[in-house]
Amino acid sequence: MEKYSIMMLYINAPQTIGEQVKDQQSPQEMFFDKWQHLYSDRTESMRSSEVRDLLAVTQRPDIIALAGGAPYTEALNLDKMSRILGEVMKDGPGPLNYGSSEGYEPLRVWLTKFMADEDVACTPDDIVITDGSQQGLELVGKIFLNPGDTIVAEAPSYVGALNAFLSYQADIIQIECDDNGLKVDKVAETLENLKRRGITPRFIYVIPSFQNPSGVTMSLARRKKLVKLARQYNTLIVEDNAYRRLSFEEEPLASIKTLDPDNVVYLGTFSKILSPGLRVGWVVAPRPIREKLIFAKQAADLCSSSLTQRVVTAYFGETDMKTHLKKLIGIYIKRRDKMLNACAEYFPRGVKWTKPKGGFFVWVTLPEYLDTTNMLAKAVEQKVAYVPGKAFFADGTGRNCMRLNYSFMKESDIREGVRRLAEVVEQEMELYRSLKL
Amino acid sequence: MKPKIAVLLGGHSLERDISFQSGNRVAAAALALGYRVVSLDVDEHIVSYLREEKPDLCFIALHGRFGEDGAIQGLLEAMGLPYTGSGVLASVLGMDKSLSKDIFLREGIPTPDFIALSTGAVKELGAANVVKDIVARLGLPLVIKPSSQGSAQGVNFVQKEEEITAALLGAFSYGDKVILEKFVRGKEVAVSVLGAERARALPPVEIAPKKGHFDFQAMYTMGATEYFIPARLPDALTKKVQSLALQAHKCLGCRDLSRVDFIVEAKTDTPYVLELNTIPGLTETSLFPMAAAHAGVDFTDLIGKIIEAALKR
Repeated sequence: MEKYSIMMLYINAPQTIGEQVKDQQSPQEMFFDKWQHLYSDRTESMRSSEVRDLLAVTQRPDIIALAGGAPYTEALNLDKMSRILGEVMKDGPGPLNYGSSEGYEPLRVWLTKFMADEDVACTPDDIVITDGSQQGLELVGKIFLNPGDTIVAEAPSYVGALNAFLSYQADIIQIECDDNGLKVDKVAETLENLKRRGITPRFIYVIPSFQNPSGVTMSLARRKKLVKLARQYNTLIVEDNAYRRLSFEEEPLASIKTLDPDNVVYLGTFSKILSPGLRVGWVVAPRPIREKLIFAKQAADLCSSSLTQRVVTAYFGETDMKTHLKKLIGIYIKRRDKMLNACAEYFPRGVKWTKPKGGFFVWVTLPEYLDTTNMLAKAVEQKVAYVPGKAFFADGTGRNCMRLNYSFMKESDIREGVRRLAEVVEQEMELYRSLKL
Repeated sequence: MKPKIAVLLGGHSLERDISFQSGNRVAAAALALGYRVVSLDVDEHIVSYLREEKPDLCFIALHGRFGEDGAIQGLLEAMGLPYTGSGVLASVLGMDKSLSKDIFLREGIPTPDFIALSTGAVKELGAANVVKDIVARLGLPLVIKPSSQGSAQGVNFVQKEEEITAALLGAFSYGDKVILEKFVRGKEVAVSVLGAERARALPPVEIAPKKGHFDFQAMYTMGATEYFIPARLPDALTKKVQSLALQAHKCLGCRDLSRVDFIVEAKTDTPYVLELNTIPGLTETSLFPMAAAHAGVDFTDLIGKIIEAALKR
């Protein structure tokens, strides 16, 4: 008798937390995997990204995909980009060879100026270049997390970060947010409870500005309090600042790193302000942590792309950052407005949504009895897609929420997409009322 | 010159991704057999693609809506193009569990007791009022799932009466008809039927939860299940599920291939048919090709047999 193990391909992330099964979402096709007995325990806690699994359906051209998280790269000056690419290629053998693990030095030098604009004082030796900030998250997980370690994050939080930390078998405690971001009082309670149980969280992961997926921003008062709490409970803050520069109204709040430079690991990326295809991000970390990150990076990929690091350096070497951002922000403001107006116009009573002042996302909360994972099938039938809320929670809650993206689609599509979605929501509410006699 | 095969793949269903995996593999096998092959992603232009390509046979490697429910089959009939797999009627019956289960019962093939509800009945006829009666008849726990089975999504297990509304709402997301089905505890077994020439049942595959997981929950949890081929069943029971699978395949009028999913009740050793898939997955790791491989038919042979049978029609 042959014996194999079975793997299942999910259109939705499976919700297994330890041994406890939180969800009974069914698989769409069974898979034999005869190597199952060889895999590490780690793979059991890996989740496939809901976003990725959705791509197969949402890449159809007839679907309005409000599901993505991509910037509008068509806004870039592509002629300029290809000229720079050509020039960089002629720059000796460097671009086609290995580089240093900490990253291309001229880029790190340029980044110290970029960081100075955020009031973060650092030298090139405080910076590690990563393959997007996603690698920063992965490396942070690698150097801090043992199986079963506790970390604290926002509820909801970035699905890619949750997946990175879950793959290191972290126990993620997510704490709710309101319009002023993470509820820091609740963080204090949680930290105190953990302390009583003898647990020190390895770090607190936050996306303080224009959060993914909720769109909200943490207030300055809360940032200050969070920094104090981290010190008080002997833990570290990991600050993911992917969207900070895409602020639509006033000057964005200073990064948390400025409030306590020695106890915050800062993750930055060019993915949202330039191009995610180049895969260039960076980490600013206290020296001992930076050293561990470099060791971890050497094991992961030796170095980031020598070519794309030079492209970024050359691009911003001849581009005024303020003008560059102003152009992007102008486009995104219009799209955000389009989306918020459409939400107000079409969504039925009982639906709530956030009003982001920057970034890429609107977070929609439906009546509690609706399940956005199931509802996605109907939405796709109506040719519109979103990301179901539960992807952004490690424990599978958030089932009545969804993330909508406005950065990538044309304004007319945004409006039509929200209209279709609202129709689906309305039908679901009507069906619920008939079921609830 | 060898016949030209159009592999129809992709499509608009939620199983688009799987369909590409099945279809690409079918195309590679057909090429290896020396056929001329073209792969077509099925969308609203499929008629003009087919008119242009003029294939001798369409190999339908689509799953779910429009691919497995008789829609593409009807279209190909209208265009006079031969295709692999079941015809329109068998596809419609296989896709709709409320119809196929009804036929199984009439044919004496055991299937768990069930009741079908449509959105129309709920919205226009106040069907929510009879839910209590349904629960009284079927007992708890019960399973609520979309009646159209292309995607296995939207399947909900209900342990308490108050969970029913959410489960119905969830299942209705995948179609306008759902079935409420008595939950049968036991071994999950899939029997593939290769219908080319004379239909025969392949060795049954057993899907089992790993230790530390609850039985039905494990079915839906990554890495929590393993499978055994052939299924760990006594010989008599193996023969029984194979003959029931063949009977199910024939009574719906299926052609070429199908996969019949069973639950073998632990208490009584009774095999119950849960559903029949007219286009089972054909990926590298799917149940149907693995069962065929176990019976000594490798993937290329398997595709060859299906193509030859369809070309002879």
